[in-house]
Amino acid sequence: MSWSLLTLDVTYEHDVVAARQRARQITALLGFDVQDQTRVATAVSEIARNAFRYAGGGKVEFVVEGRTAPQLLLVRISDHGPGIRDLERVLDGSYRSATGMGLGIVGARRLMDRFDIETEPARGTTVWLRKIFPARQSVVAAGELAEVSTALGRQRPETPLEEVQRQSQELLRTLEELQRRQEELTRLNQELADTNRGVVALYAELDEKADHLRRADEMKSRFLSNMSHEFRTPLNSILALSRLLLEFTDGPLTDAQKTQVGYIRKAASDLSDLVNDLLDLAKVEAGKVIVRPVEFEVTNLFGALRGMLRPLLVTEAVALVFEEPEAMPPLFTDEAKVSQILRNFISNALKFTERGEVRVSATLDPGGDAVVFSVADSGIGIAPEDQERIFEEFSQLDHPIQKRVKGTGLGLPLTKKLAALLGGTVWVTSTPGAGSTFSVVIPRHDVEPAPLLGPHDRAVEPGRLPVLVVEDRAEDALVYEGFLRASRFQPIHARSLREARHVLATVRPRVIILDILLRGENARGFLATLERDERTRAIPIIVATTVEDQQKGLALGANAYGVKPITREWLLDALAMVSGTVRPCRVLVVDDDEISRYLLRSVLAEARCTVHEAANGQDGLERAIDKRPDVIFLDLIMPDVTGFEVLERLKAEPRTRDIPVIVFTSKPLAGDERAWLEERAVAVLSKEAASRQAGSEVLDALGLAALASGGAS
Amino acid sequence: MFESGSSVERIPILKMGSYLLVTIQVDMHDRLATSLQDDLTARIVETRARGVLIDISSLEVVDSFIGRMLGNIAAMARVLDAETVVVGMRPAVAITLVELGLSLPGVRTALNVDKGMELLRGSVERVAKVNSRGRRQARDA
Repeated sequence: MSWSLLTLDVTYEHDVVAARQRARQITALLGFDVQDQTRVATAVSEIARNAFRYAGGGKVEFVVEGRTAPQLLLVRISDHGPGIRDLERVLDGSYRSATGMGLGIVGARRLMDRFDIETEPARGTTVWLRKIFPARQSVVAAGELAEVSTALGRQRPETPLEEVQRQSQELLRTLEELQRRQEELTRLNQELADTNRGVVALYAELDEKADHLRRADEMKSRFLSNMSHEFRTPLNSILALSRLLLEFTDGPLTDAQKTQVGYIRKAASDLSDLVNDLLDLAKVEAGKVIVRPVEFEVTNLFGALRGMLRPLLVTEAVALVFEEPEAMPPLFTDEAKVSQILRNFISNALKFTERGEVRVSATLDPGGDAVVFSVADSGIGIAPEDQERIFEEFSQLDHPIQKRVKGTGLGLPLTKKLAALLGGTVWVTSTPGAGSTFSVVIPRHDVEPAPLLGPHDRAVEPGRLPVLVVEDRAEDALVYEGFLRASRFQPIHARSLREARHVLATVRPRVIILDILLRGENARGFLATLERDERTRAIPIIVATTVEDQQKGLALGANAYGVKPITREWLLDALAMVSGTVRPCRVLVVDDDEISRYLLRSVLAEARCTVHEAANGQDGLERAIDKRPDVIFLDLIMPDVTGFEVLERLKAEPRTRDIPVIVFTSKPLAGDERAWLEERAVAVLSKEAASRQAGSEVLDALGLAALASGGAS
Repeated sequence: MFESGSSVERIPILKMGSYLLVTIQVDMHDRLATSLQDDLTARIVETRARGVLIDISSLEVVDSFIGRMLGNIAAMARVLDAETVVVGMRPAVAITLVELGLSLPGVRTALNVDKGMELLRGSVERVAKVNSRGRRQARDA
């Protein structure tokens, strides 16, 4: 019966204009004349304005009523406002609104053919405006109405201004939406913050738990370590006593007793092994194990292992093969621990392999910064579910062989811990029945090598002879430093062979002092390389060590061999000897003071020098020509000829001119006197200083004198 | 933001000699109509215009609000010593206004701009004459 053409909302002021324009359009499309178009548009404008102004907005619907003549155009304008209070008075025209209007409803009623209004306080108002279709026009069919609808859809009567307004309305709506989302976000944020607080609380709890665990773990380690120590003492007693018994120290045993004691000894020995393993493990866990990185070659490591493990090969059916590694750069890590890991792997493999081979190999990690060691056997293999478990402490698998071969169940866990200590990891791949491969990857530079000394540490002072001191103990290095202080030898300290090689690249020392027991490093090998290298062959070497093996040291090319603790005297002697700066041994002391002569004599006797004495200047001069000493100690204040004069005459006499003179005096020297003396003597010593320093200055001066005479000859 | 938006849309007011010319070419919403009323009174004061000519030939609908606004403009202009003539009202609009019961008291109308200008000039001169006569009489007395 009715056909809805268009509905539009009146929300903004501009919608009132849109409503009346739509009314005009529709009436035009439906064939109303211009006058009626204006009437309907005006009426719609009035009522729509009322809806906007008094109800805050409403809805305008355009409907065509009836399919036969007379058809009606219905405009229904509804709102949800407060309703109209004095509708009766408004309708009879006696009402004047507060805004001075009051024409809208009455006027609209006049303009339309039919006007209905319904209003209810607080519920809203609905107005039906009806206009009869023009009489001359034929009935508008549904099809035409559809066209009208389409046309209306196309013609959106919008000026740019309206466009802008529409857009700003959309913008407003978007802003509202944004506002809503913002609130949503704030809410979510709040929720997240709450959750976060919960998580933080949980974390704190976890931390606490972890702390508990850590403490429990520490307790375990401490317990293990203490118990192991306590176990060891009685075990050692058992072992020692049973050995005594078996050696028949206290009379012979019967065969039965011998067997029984043998079992006791065997059991004690097994227990001792277990305790030792436990101790190792506890040490690693307690972090008490110190990693001592050294530079070593895999080939050498394999060689040592081969020798060490040969006794374990009890059956012909199993071969132990070490693959020679190819192009393997040296490793810088704890060789002993790598060796222990591999020993564990290999002895384990040998235990569970009845026939076939155990193959040990090493390959360089593709990155080149780690080495993978593998021990492959053709033994019983390990089921996949057990492969993790074998690295746990005290886990032993249930297998016939397992029952036969005894183990502590600590070997592999220890291996795992040692590998972790070196920055590596262990793993196993295995096929039950076909064999297992245990692997460990060890970083080549597990521990950063100690930084090399800076160039300033090696700068050689002019006039001094560089001595390379290779010594890993800092305190010993200090001793060398003290011994050589103020001597003509300048120690250059290297803490390792690596550093020593580094120093040798830039400095050519006069002598090398070498500690043959450098921690873990093969100093003997270093000696051999020095001997081989042309550039270093000529450098004399002094070996200072705690090991008495002079023959071997000298055979390897050492020029002097000293057993620690060495004395300053010995060191200086050795240095002088090997560096070719032989110490002067005939000394003339020219001094009128008996006590001074005595003091010098005792100091020089210690240096194994022959001492001639002169009690005055004249005598001194004569003896200098007569004895031709290597060095002369000269006092300045003497009764007859003063030291200055003696010195001058010594230098003037061709036969004594080249003898170095050491001025040894208690006279306070003026600046010009000292300068004069220093020009002619190799050293000027004060007697006070010499007495305080127990002769060391005297010896240093002797060294200088030797240098002077060496330089002159 | 609607306030700033509405400040952009303004009905232009042109000054022609001592007259102001307003051509309403868009269908005005109520606030635009109100602002025209305010703008126009301000311009009358500012330019000391003697007459205002409002061309509404583009308006297809003049409802009670716009009609009342036109009446208000005329009344205010008169208080400010300016005559107002509304020109170009469409017949349909005129009929509708009458049917609506809106008589636009005090608003003088003319058919087109030319006629409107004539009307304005005439009334302004008449007022001037009346004024000068008044002054003469005062002098004679």
